[in-house]
Amino acid sequence: MVVISLSYLEIRQLCFSYNSKRMVLKNIDLGVKKGEWIAILGHNGSGKSTLAKTIVGLLRPQSGSVTIDGIELTDATAYEVRKKVGIVFQNPDNQFVGVTVRDDIAFGMENLQVPRAEMEEKIQFYAKKVDMLPFLDKEPSALSGGQKQRIAIAGILAMKTELLLFDEATSMLDPSSRRELMSYIKELHREGLTIIMITHDIEEALWADRMIVLKDGAVFADDTAENLFRKPEAFREAYLELPTALQIYYELEQTGDMTPPLAETLWALGSGR
Amino acid sequence: MGIRFRSVSFSYPGFGKGFYEALRNITLNIATTGEFIALVGQTGSGKSTLAQHMNALVFPTSGSVEIFGKTITPKRDKKIKYNDLRRKVGLVFQFPEYQLFEETVEKDIMFGPLNFKIPEEKAREMAKTALQLVGLGPQYLTRNPLNLSGGEKKRVSIAGILAMNPDMLVLDEPTSGLDPYGKKAMMDLFRSIRERTDKTIIVITHDMDLVYEYMDRVLVLDNGALVFDGEPDRLFRQTDLENLHLDHPATIKVLRTVSEQLGIALDVYQKDVVGAVRELRKAVRP
Repeated sequence: MVVISLSYLEIRQLCFSYNSKRMVLKNIDLGVKKGEWIAILGHNGSGKSTLAKTIVGLLRPQSGSVTIDGIELTDATAYEVRKKVGIVFQNPDNQFVGVTVRDDIAFGMENLQVPRAEMEEKIQFYAKKVDMLPFLDKEPSALSGGQKQRIAIAGILAMKTELLLFDEATSMLDPSSRRELMSYIKELHREGLTIIMITHDIEEALWADRMIVLKDGAVFADDTAENLFRKPEAFREAYLELPTALQIYYELEQTGDMTPPLAETLWALGSGR
Repeated sequence: MGIRFRSVSFSYPGFGKGFYEALRNITLNIATTGEFIALVGQTGSGKSTLAQHMNALVFPTSGSVEIFGKTITPKRDKKIKYNDLRRKVGLVFQFPEYQLFEETVEKDIMFGPLNFKIPEEKAREMAKTALQLVGLGPQYLTRNPLNLSGGEKKRVSIAGILAMNPDMLVLDEPTSGLDPYGKKAMMDLFRSIRERTDKTIIVITHDMDLVYEYMDRVLVLDNGALVFDGEPDRLFRQTDLENLHLDHPATIKVLRTVSEQLGIALDVYQKDVVGAVRELRKAVRP
């Protein structure tokens, strides 16, 4: 059967459990269009990271399917499909392989057999993008957590994947490097990359076109930020926290201590307009 | 007693040419009891390196660190039992949950005490007490740590350090990777440990909201130098926070924007949402 789909990533009825006792992902249905930027939010243990690992083929679901760019992820297609997806984990120590920063950025490209001269050029280009050019000959262990993370991102970007998945990749960065990275991701998005961002940071999620909220392993909501923020009780139900400005907004509204200009200012601040 | 840094500098040996100076001339006193301190600064500013000096895990390149009466200098002193100091100042690394490896929570928490030659029965008892201190019931003792949630794993690994009954606790980004409720629960946990034991707790964090809401004192590192040491409120009233690569807490940012856009006078220095709401109510009500 030929399935014609408009989505770049198509997840159908996906179920996963680490042991038979508890389902970590329950019947996940999700479509992401090419060039779209989505944020996946959810409480600790809601299944976000597990979902990420099934998308990149690190975990095999018990049932359901993951299709990327029209190719269903199976043992036979894994090599081909994985080239299209890059994942940046929360803890870069788990993905560091090189002796130096240069080696580490090169690692993925070596697997793809990129010619040496082109590789060196790319290493320079992407190290510069993440502001780590002076560190190319440094040993990864001499870098701080945030610096390591930037190197990991450079390594994946260098492979020119079409779908980039960030699994809480900014959670260890300080505000200024986080802002820098976010604006760079914005640039990648503008260049046409499809972005999936798993995050606990609601302000960060505002950059996305759409938010997927997971709760206890199931898709709880799939909507724009603007629409989601109109339902504060649903937000609480999913154990999420509204942006500070909107928490203040709803507190004031409850007691009627609100003027139209104040409401407008707080809403604009909270929803990132 | 406590910890005293005297003109401490530290350099990592570089690859090929030169050194990377991670700490520059730090002088600082930390009391053994009663302090709740945030250690903040940009990525690479030296926070983790400073923390590692607090229990003699690394030695200064110049200057000295006095830890509970023992003076740590660049040269090793055979008379100092460094392991004893490491037991006195419990250091919890970033992502301690990746270091859980035993089959049960109990075994994991007992690992530290056993390592320090504490008899098994006593260690078992210490594990139970420590688990209680981090807010987990005894039913967790037999659980496999790998099947716990992120927040629970963090609690178990903190219990592992608490089981050694340190005099002071230093935690490297204990809230990173937790959801907003998990973060608050973790900070409430530290607050309650402090209230119950009066031990000084030092927390490395990037989260200015938590610093403002919870902590008494904040140390700011910038490029290896200590550039601020005082109350969070005084720090956030400073105008040049951007130069220190720090953000303002969200409450201040929101109130400041409201005040500017609507032209109303507000005391924008509110530590939490409750304070911000109170301030806005005052301004709105006739």
